[in-house]
Amino acid sequence: MKQQLTNIWKDWRLHTVVLIIVLLTETIGTHSFTVGPGVVLLLPMLYAIIMGLALFFTPVIKDKQSKNAEPLIVLGVTVLIAKIGVIIGPSLPQIIEAGPALLLQEFGNLGTILIALPVAILLGLKRESIGMTHSVAREPNVGLIMDKYGFNSPEGRGVMAIYIFGTVFGAVFMGLISGFLATWTPLHPLSFAMASGIGSGSMMAAASGSLVAAFPDMENEILAFAGASNLLSLSTGLYMSIFIGLPITERLYQIMTKNKKYNTSESKGA
Amino acid sequence: MLKNIQEWVLLLVIFGAVSVLGNWIGYDIVAIEAIPGMLILLGICLVGLILGEIIPGSIPSIAYVALVGVLVSMPWMPGSQVIVSATNEVDLLALTTPILAYAGIAIGRSWTDFVKLGWKSIVVAVFVMLGTFLGSALIAEAILRFQGII
Repeated sequence: MKQQLTNIWKDWRLHTVVLIIVLLTETIGTHSFTVGPGVVLLLPMLYAIIMGLALFFTPVIKDKQSKNAEPLIVLGVTVLIAKIGVIIGPSLPQIIEAGPALLLQEFGNLGTILIALPVAILLGLKRESIGMTHSVAREPNVGLIMDKYGFNSPEGRGVMAIYIFGTVFGAVFMGLISGFLATWTPLHPLSFAMASGIGSGSMMAAASGSLVAAFPDMENEILAFAGASNLLSLSTGLYMSIFIGLPITERLYQIMTKNKKYNTSESKGA
Repeated sequence: MLKNIQEWVLLLVIFGAVSVLGNWIGYDIVAIEAIPGMLILLGICLVGLILGEIIPGSIPSIAYVALVGVLVSMPWMPGSQVIVSATNEVDLLALTTPILAYAGIAIGRSWTDFVKLGWKSIVVAVFVMLGTFLGSALIAEAILRFQGII
């Protein structure tokens, strides 16, 4: 963001192509189909990223357009964050009322680092793993990584990979595991209801929806807890990542990769 | 700095215009009705970006953008209803479509790196989601039991 942004606004080829993609994909609109307990949502943004990618491999998009697109993603995410800000503002009183249980379970989102970071490192991923596992990779977290490391950094690629997976399969995956875990573990459905709010409307809807299907008697409580938790994740997720999630991920990554190097050199010596 | 602000304004206006048109086609909100809200959002961005530049420290500028957005729309802020109702005319999903269109075009250059991530990123993604879901559920369970709610 701090580097020079020179005359990207003059790249009319890029902006016209994006405008055409947007008009086309919004005309197609949202479609959905159900798979088991979950719903697969096909949103215009999904078609947009595929069309953009496909156009990159045609003469319509040259290397220059592709380079110029990067700062626009960062600025676009900034507009998105402003929009999320004005969604949170009016509901601040409810968030304050929502209580300590809701607030503290937000720290559970750090569980992603503890479980997923070792897996990523074990699979041999390098700094991509920081972008991948520092959070659940929704829009504010993507913005944070772009802002801090840049779009074409390993961290940026990592966060985009998880973001894209979440965008495409997040709802159906959350729908599947929430119903499964709530019926197969001793944890209370209301705990899973709070856990359903991870900062994505569609994932929250899918996860809490299959909870309701499994425990219809608790429908209202489940939906209320999930909604409040989702609101909290939306409002605190960014700050959680900035001040806790990302620093912990960086530190753990350093510790884990250091040990790994130590182990391999040791085994070579032996 | 001034040159940056000028470039930011031009790019924000282009992005805003594309989004307003997408908002019109995809979410049936006539452009005229969405323009005030879009201008407010762009203003919030600009203030946040400038704050990020002038305030020392390593807090990313989007944190300031979010903060400004929350401050101007919270109920204790005079005139916040105007801001909330105006920005309600801009659908969240109308903003994500152009972002991902630009992202698709930009990803092309690092496509080979993406392909390299491949199945590994799918495995990691599964654990990322499982981690946050189980982590939150375990803490919620502990506190709800402690409070005697369940």
